[in-house]
Amino acid sequence: MKLQNLLQLPLVLASLLGPMAVTAEHTSNWAVLVSTSRFWFNYRHLANVLSLYRTVKRLGIPDSQIILMLPDDMACNPRNAFPGTVYSNADRAVDLYGDNIEVDYRGYEVTVESFIRLLTDRVGEEMPRSKRLLTDDRSNILVYMTGHGGNEFLKFQDAEEISAFDLADAFEQMWEKKRYHELLFMIDTCQANTMYSKFYSPNIIATGSSEIDQSSYSHHADNDVGVAVIDRYTYYNLDFLETQVLEPSSKKTLGDLFDSYDESKIHSQPGFRWDLFPGGEEAGRNRLLMDFFGNVQNVEVDAGRNESEWKEDLLALGKKIAELRERSEDVHAEKNTTLIEPPLRSHMSRKIRASKVEVDAQWWGKKSIGAWALVGCSLVWGAASYLEKA
Amino acid sequence: MRQLHSLLLLLCSLLFAATCAASDYHEQLLLRPLHPSLLLASFNFQSNTSWASFEQQNFRYFPRSLGQILQHANTRELHLRFSLGRWDAENWGARPWGGSREGGTGVELWAWVEAETDEDRADGRWLTLTNALSGLFCASLNFIDSTRTIRPVMSFQPAAGHANSTLSNLHLLHGTLPREVVCTENLTPFLKLLPCKGKAGISSLLDGHKLFDASWRSSEECQLQITQTIDMVLDIQRSKRPRDNPIPRPVPNEDLKCDTSKPYHSDDTCYPLDTGAQLDDWNLSQIFGHPLKGACPLADDGVDPVCINVPHAHHVYASGGAQEHKDETGYMRCFELAPEGNFEMVLPKQDIMERAPLEQPLLYAERSFIGYGQERGGVQAILTNPSPSESVDFVYMESLPWFMKLYLHTLKAKINGNDEDVIQEMYYRPALDRKRGTQLEVRILIPANSTVVLTYDFEKAILRYTEYPPDANRGFDIAPAVITIGNVSIRTTSLLLSLPTPDFSMPYNVIILTSTVMALAFGMVFNLLVRRFVGVDEAEKWDIRALRLRLAGLIKGLVRKFKRKAEKTE
Repeated sequence: MKLQNLLQLPLVLASLLGPMAVTAEHTSNWAVLVSTSRFWFNYRHLANVLSLYRTVKRLGIPDSQIILMLPDDMACNPRNAFPGTVYSNADRAVDLYGDNIEVDYRGYEVTVESFIRLLTDRVGEEMPRSKRLLTDDRSNILVYMTGHGGNEFLKFQDAEEISAFDLADAFEQMWEKKRYHELLFMIDTCQANTMYSKFYSPNIIATGSSEIDQSSYSHHADNDVGVAVIDRYTYYNLDFLETQVLEPSSKKTLGDLFDSYDESKIHSQPGFRWDLFPGGEEAGRNRLLMDFFGNVQNVEVDAGRNESEWKEDLLALGKKIAELRERSEDVHAEKNTTLIEPPLRSHMSRKIRASKVEVDAQWWGKKSIGAWALVGCSLVWGAASYLEKA
Repeated sequence: MRQLHSLLLLLCSLLFAATCAASDYHEQLLLRPLHPSLLLASFNFQSNTSWASFEQQNFRYFPRSLGQILQHANTRELHLRFSLGRWDAENWGARPWGGSREGGTGVELWAWVEAETDEDRADGRWLTLTNALSGLFCASLNFIDSTRTIRPVMSFQPAAGHANSTLSNLHLLHGTLPREVVCTENLTPFLKLLPCKGKAGISSLLDGHKLFDASWRSSEECQLQITQTIDMVLDIQRSKRPRDNPIPRPVPNEDLKCDTSKPYHSDDTCYPLDTGAQLDDWNLSQIFGHPLKGACPLADDGVDPVCINVPHAHHVYASGGAQEHKDETGYMRCFELAPEGNFEMVLPKQDIMERAPLEQPLLYAERSFIGYGQERGGVQAILTNPSPSESVDFVYMESLPWFMKLYLHTLKAKINGNDEDVIQEMYYRPALDRKRGTQLEVRILIPANSTVVLTYDFEKAILRYTEYPPDANRGFDIAPAVITIGNVSIRTTSLLLSLPTPDFSMPYNVIILTSTVMALAFGMVFNLLVRRFVGVDEAEKWDIRALRLRLAGLIKGLVRKFKRKAEKTE
């Protein structure tokens, strides 16, 4: 009897958890990883962001769904004693740059404007797809930022700042435009927790490395690289992700990750924000890490579909393609016939091109005309004043 | 990912095949020792497809991702070059491929875009093209805007094969980004365009080497070709250092090789021997980090994939299964790889002093800034024709940013120190502030064995506060000049122009000072308006007694009020 009860337990649990899982459905995972610091001594910020890049790639988010922003070139920097590599640990076990990396925004492209345009998708039509965040209302997004910041601002390239209000408004616009389902915001900078204090859009979980008036510190330096290689908060996040979340089937939750933070190691007080998330802290803590760091989706099966319907759809599609092809051939033929007409306006809108610089052969001629014109004017003037006198 | 060397160059381009061959692909690696400790490695990948299959989007060897961009932007011919470093022509001789596959430092892009005589449409397609390529190659090519785009007249010719009917509709556009860095993220997409994707064949050696360039050309008839080339100059000593410990450490005393001919040579004094003068021993896996992973199965059998340019007297050992072919010139041997297994090549240490001859370049060119001060400057280009008998006719092209304002009347060419008329022809388009840059093309004839010094002056513009990049104090890169001698081209190094740079904290100082002045002025006016000024003797005395009197008055008043109230209620 007892044994039977025990056997039924998983079933009961599954039926309880089942509806919850359905409400959490997302169909794609995206990651926006931003470093905002230029210059060699900020090596650690690029290493931070590259470590996160390697982690989400390892857990299954493809390059096409990762937007990586690197404002400076550390790997091929002349000061780098290890050309083509970036390390986030003095043991130099893992080359973060590797052989297969796609950087979407780099150098001067990393600005507040391009970051906000990326989030809100307000970009020109010429913008390539690889540089756009093509999310929808079923996409989970991980936004990770690192750089130098302060109370309610984060510096970009030491030249401009994004404020907590700008960021909150950008997320609100994303929500209004149905550009995310759930969003995990992580930030590693000084006074990081102030950056998410202004958020007001739903379905956001936010975490940061340090409270107001606290600095975030670097973890350690590599003497051969010559600079600090990683920040503390990111280091301990990675430590957890690398040792506890080994494969995409991992069932670790956000709560597990956040519980692993040890203030005595991080040297600052990490903060969390749950109030925007439906279900609050309890629901947020139970959310799987793989919902944000991986690319795992549950399969949803639409009921009531059968095979014949599917075949009909295919047939209809085939007919449509044949029709379109015919039409395009007609258009093509038409074009060919119209092409025979000679082009009427051949050089209508010539822009100013480079023009040939030539020595003027009539130099003396022009000079003498000018001289005669001057002489003529003075004669007229002289004559006029003579007549006036008379 | 071996080291990035003192100098890596990158390049590329196309040969026209007159026959309507079917799709094919071949690749070749040419190794050429330049100097005892330097090695030039030229990777060349070439794939063809027929025009018909390109039109139908039927891609086999031709990369689909690039093909679709070219179709979308109506581009008939495209050259994209990334490069880094400097080619030392005095020691290394002529450039590989005659410089025709080389780009200026950073990124150089030029393309023939088809648009029916409408230049605005050509500009629109150029914008589409640069943005699409920036996504594909992970480079900031979208920064090639109208201020960095020129339309060269004399310097570039289409590679061939365009039908005359389309030629009139082709627009040549040229853009440069001299500041762009070249790194692994540019190589990754480059390798993905190759049929063997860097998994087999010579491309398997390219795991993170930094330079590349791709060029593309098509002809209306039937042939379409993409040529991707990477040329790199490797320092053999550096390449041989272990990857996890690339920092050179001092050689221990007992390993030092001393020049014993020096009179002061003794146990405690040592003049190190120049080991650079000896031919180093090396093998492929030391230089590239791992051996070549077999032949690319998609490549044509007709072309041997690995060649080395050393005299036949040298010993070169290759791994089993590879067949060696020596050519008649006495300096080139090629290897045909076995279909399976890794390929390794070893050059042992040898005492043969004979070297393969270096080709002499047609022209030596160097360019530098002259002048001083923050307001004006000058540029000097020194062009030397080393040939004792042949004169050289070339086109010198500059594409300058708008903030470097050229004075054309100061353009002077001196030949061997004398003013002489060597300028044959000149095309010029002046700059417009924030709209377009300067374009200058000069055709010059240099007689044999002489030097032309070309100089001009320019004025530096003052930029607006927001127009400065985040690292403004570093200076602004000026694109290399392109020198074209028929099919051969030479690029000078880029220049670093320092503009007058403001102190970027100044606006904040101004804001703070202005606020202070305004607060003072406001305070004074406010005081005058609301204060009443009275004589000292008229002023009520604010001492303790006055306060006591006031308090007493107040209490008395309250008491009186209370009494009155009490009376009323009664």
